[in-house]
Amino acid sequence: MMKNASLMLLILSCFASTSAFAWQAPTRELEEAEEQAFKRAVSQVAPSLVRIETVGGLDQVQNFLLGNGPTTGLVLSADGYVISSSFNFLSKPASILVTTTDGRRMTAKVIANDTVRSLTLLKVEADGLVPARAAAKESIKVGQWAIAVGRALDANAPNVSVGIVSAVNRVWGKAIQTDAKVSPVNYGGVLVDVDGTVLGVLVPLSPQDNSTVAGVEWYDSGIGFAIPLTDVLATLDRLKQGKDLRAGLAEFTFASTDMFGGDTKIDRVRYDSPMYRAGFKDGDQILELDGHKVTRPAQVKHVLGGKIEGEKLAITIKRGNETKQADLTLVGELPPFEAGFLGVLPTREKLAGGAEGVGVRWVYPDSPAAKLGLKPRDRIVKFRDQAITSAAQLIDQVSRVRPTEKAAVVVRREGKEQTLEATLAGYPADVPKELPTSPIEAAIEVEPKKPDGKVEADGDKKAEGSDKPRTGRFGEEVADSKNAWWAFVPESYNPAYGYSLLAWLHPPGDTLEATIFDSWKLEAERRGIILLGLKAANVGAGWQANEAEFVHEMVVSFQKKYSIDAGRVVLHGYDKSGPFATHLAFKHRDVFRGLILAASLITERPPENLPEYRLQFQLICGSKDPAHAFLDRNANSLRQLKYPANFTSLPDLEHRYPNADGVDAMARWIDSLDRL
Amino acid sequence: MGDCKLRIAKCKLQIERQPDNVPYRDRHGAAATEFRSGRSLTVAVRLGSRLMQFAICILQFAICNAFLTSDARAQTTRDTIAAVQPKVVKIFGAGGIKGLASHGTGFLVSKEGHIATIWSHVLDADVVGVVLSDGRRFTAKVLGAEPQLALAVLKLNNEDGTEFPFFHVDEAISAGSGTRVLGFSNMFNVAAGDEPVSVVHGVIAAKTTIEARRGVFDSPYSGPVFVVDGVTNNSGAAGGVLTTRDGLLLGMIGLELRNAKSNTWMNYAIPVKELSSSISQIISGKFEQKRDPRSDDTEPSAKPRRYKPLDFGFLLVPDVVDRTPAFIDSTLPDSAAAKVGLKPDDLVLFVNDELIQSCRALQDAIGRLESGDQLRLVVRRGNELVNVEMPVPKKREKE
Repeated sequence: MMKNASLMLLILSCFASTSAFAWQAPTRELEEAEEQAFKRAVSQVAPSLVRIETVGGLDQVQNFLLGNGPTTGLVLSADGYVISSSFNFLSKPASILVTTTDGRRMTAKVIANDTVRSLTLLKVEADGLVPARAAAKESIKVGQWAIAVGRALDANAPNVSVGIVSAVNRVWGKAIQTDAKVSPVNYGGVLVDVDGTVLGVLVPLSPQDNSTVAGVEWYDSGIGFAIPLTDVLATLDRLKQGKDLRAGLAEFTFASTDMFGGDTKIDRVRYDSPMYRAGFKDGDQILELDGHKVTRPAQVKHVLGGKIEGEKLAITIKRGNETKQADLTLVGELPPFEAGFLGVLPTREKLAGGAEGVGVRWVYPDSPAAKLGLKPRDRIVKFRDQAITSAAQLIDQVSRVRPTEKAAVVVRREGKEQTLEATLAGYPADVPKELPTSPIEAAIEVEPKKPDGKVEADGDKKAEGSDKPRTGRFGEEVADSKNAWWAFVPESYNPAYGYSLLAWLHPPGDTLEATIFDSWKLEAERRGIILLGLKAANVGAGWQANEAEFVHEMVVSFQKKYSIDAGRVVLHGYDKSGPFATHLAFKHRDVFRGLILAASLITERPPENLPEYRLQFQLICGSKDPAHAFLDRNANSLRQLKYPANFTSLPDLEHRYPNADGVDAMARWIDSLDRL
Repeated sequence: MGDCKLRIAKCKLQIERQPDNVPYRDRHGAAATEFRSGRSLTVAVRLGSRLMQFAICILQFAICNAFLTSDARAQTTRDTIAAVQPKVVKIFGAGGIKGLASHGTGFLVSKEGHIATIWSHVLDADVVGVVLSDGRRFTAKVLGAEPQLALAVLKLNNEDGTEFPFFHVDEAISAGSGTRVLGFSNMFNVAAGDEPVSVVHGVIAAKTTIEARRGVFDSPYSGPVFVVDGVTNNSGAAGGVLTTRDGLLLGMIGLELRNAKSNTWMNYAIPVKELSSSISQIISGKFEQKRDPRSDDTEPSAKPRRYKPLDFGFLLVPDVVDRTPAFIDSTLPDSAAAKVGLKPDDLVLFVNDELIQSCRALQDAIGRLESGDQLRLVVRRGNELVNVEMPVPKKREKE
């Protein structure tokens, strides 16, 4: 019985396999041939890969915890030049060790960084190293096999991941994209083809962000990037000279903020930029870059994205009916942008609009406006020959004139217009000592308040129009490990006026809700400030980096629900919440226009001051606070970057939340954010 | 017959035992196993003579070599999946609260219904449910476990004597990086119904060792692993199998594990070769559980500080940040350190071949030394790497 069954099986299996041979053999052979090719490719490139270990350095960068395990580098020359991903040296290690495949271990020096493509060039004292072979960029085709190879996991053999080339010219023309798994275990390693020829060097990248940690969140996701090795070799000689490579700047901004839908009309040409020196002007329209026709901002970014300082850019523009062509040499750095200051606070008029010109609410003493004799109730109707219809437009126009430059101002006083010439100044560091409040008329129709007054959910369309937004103090408590919040809207809230929004981020351990409410309530009523107190998911532990979205969304939802002046949205941190507030202000520059740090330092390097993202700072602390001198220095560094920055010192106060004088100074500062 | 099988396997293993870097070794191995588990086994049964075993072994090898150049051995990926899936089971047990999954994966290792799986909280139930690829449901009990290998063996309640398809664990092989692999598991309980487990593909990224020490890997298992480039290790995937493209058993998928060295999640499998003897012993009832390191309080969890740098005559710079580099601040005159020429500002990079990334790591490494050891240091002086060696002094009783 058993024997018979076995015999049957034998016959059956023979049949099964013979029939399988007939039509499946090619598949099987292909699968095996491919696998052999992967292994061969890895062994081809292995001698060019080195293992990198670091000693000492930081644990954490930008709330990002750094690993300290081994990483990978690629040999570029027999005499010891090695390229790797800058990510591997984020910790700023005290010493870097390189181990070659043949087991030699050497110390390495950082020669220079390529900040555009997140690469770092190392040098070891050695000879006889095996440089890698580079594949020609044009030969790289989407869909071909791509094998990611690193040396981080095991000391004796490379680690491998197999995928295909998903795209070329990715991340604004910089990188090859692959679905092979790319992560810290092979950053600095290579992407090779089945012959073991190097396509590129693996790095984390993100199309949205330029920082060195950007793109790490995509590790092992099937979205990985490699910088073409031919591009690396093309700039190797420049890196060897020991100078970091920076992005090549032409410096202009577009009128349209829509990257993919807008046109290429230039809003501003930056002062002293290559564009400025070549004679290009605001309002010019870009037609061609390096021979590529461009009609959208995204196309422009694609051409400029991989450019390095010193590289050329051929540009053609249209101005009226003329076209103009020039060859620019891109620069790595420009003098910081600095907006001009006239010395006027505009009146906060009803949002109805249609008014001619902008009224003067208050004139800064000793300012250019004061020198011209401007007074409250004057109206500025023209600035630099532009008819003025709103305060925001006037702020924009004034910011286009640099301090010490002149501009024509047309002022209407008691029905008569006169043209004056103003010489603009820089933004003053001090907050006005006395600042009259801006009157807000009571709303005309007063609807009865809803008795239950439940808070509407975010983005609830029905809330607009049908329900009157809540006033007074209210909030939302939520279940465990979610973010709660509270808010105070002045009882006299009138949607016809623009309000300031103060988003309060409490320090770890205590929401200080009562303190903030008690000390700000009066100022909020007087100066038209809406208070929004946000709470960390874990109050005791404080804010975590991933809670940035919550804060951002809450602020945006309040902007939708209430009439808030986009120019007066302020983040406020105290003590240990300062770094989180700073991080948010720098991350969402399109939303936040002011940052108040009480008894807390700016620990993150501020981004470049840009005309499209106005941002003003106030640092405030007690004179007996140990951090006092550091805050003062912080404010000075901000001013060197040409940011308007105020430092307020509160006499005899220790390290604690600002007293009534402090709150008064903060409220005055918020109330003057629309200065121009 | 059981004996016969085992010996053939041993014979095959000897054939297979070749250095790792011989190309296509796995292919030969694959061929041998594949063939043996098919026709040659049948031949063995038919001849039914134990005396013939050796001869069969030779014969089998010869046949298999003869077939190597033709297509007789390996199957396509689709054939492999069809063959492997019936041997992989879904396990349902404790969990379901606080984000802990109540499902897991296991694989059949005997025709009577023994299942090897990961040792996890899912098994913290008196009886666990097991669902086969065709939807048949059984209950099972934990027969034995080896927590140090993260291994547990279950036995299905199989009263009517059903025979199951199974993996011969003693036939598990090893393979090098770049080898195409398939992972089979009930990841995220996607295969919730009467359906086979999910299959993912990838290649072996590396063969390496995880060491569950110094908080680098929070894993009960330490030893060799296959790291995979596909996302094999998801919730509920642990206990599944990793096979070669042609269906040879490689490893058991491990629990989700974060690699603190790179701050990334690892996809890995524990080689079945490491597990097979424990599995066989548990099945045969001859198993003696080793000590569970987690319940072991004789192992000092505190880091020993038997020696200090000063015992060798040098002092480190003040340890001010988390990763203060281990620079030598000063050496004492006439000390061992001075005699071997250590100098202020030397940066200690290695202690007995262990990379030293901070002052703290150096103190730990020196603290672990024992009387009679040699202390070998590699220091960086300028751009040079300098090797020095000192005997570890005898410690007097006291302190």
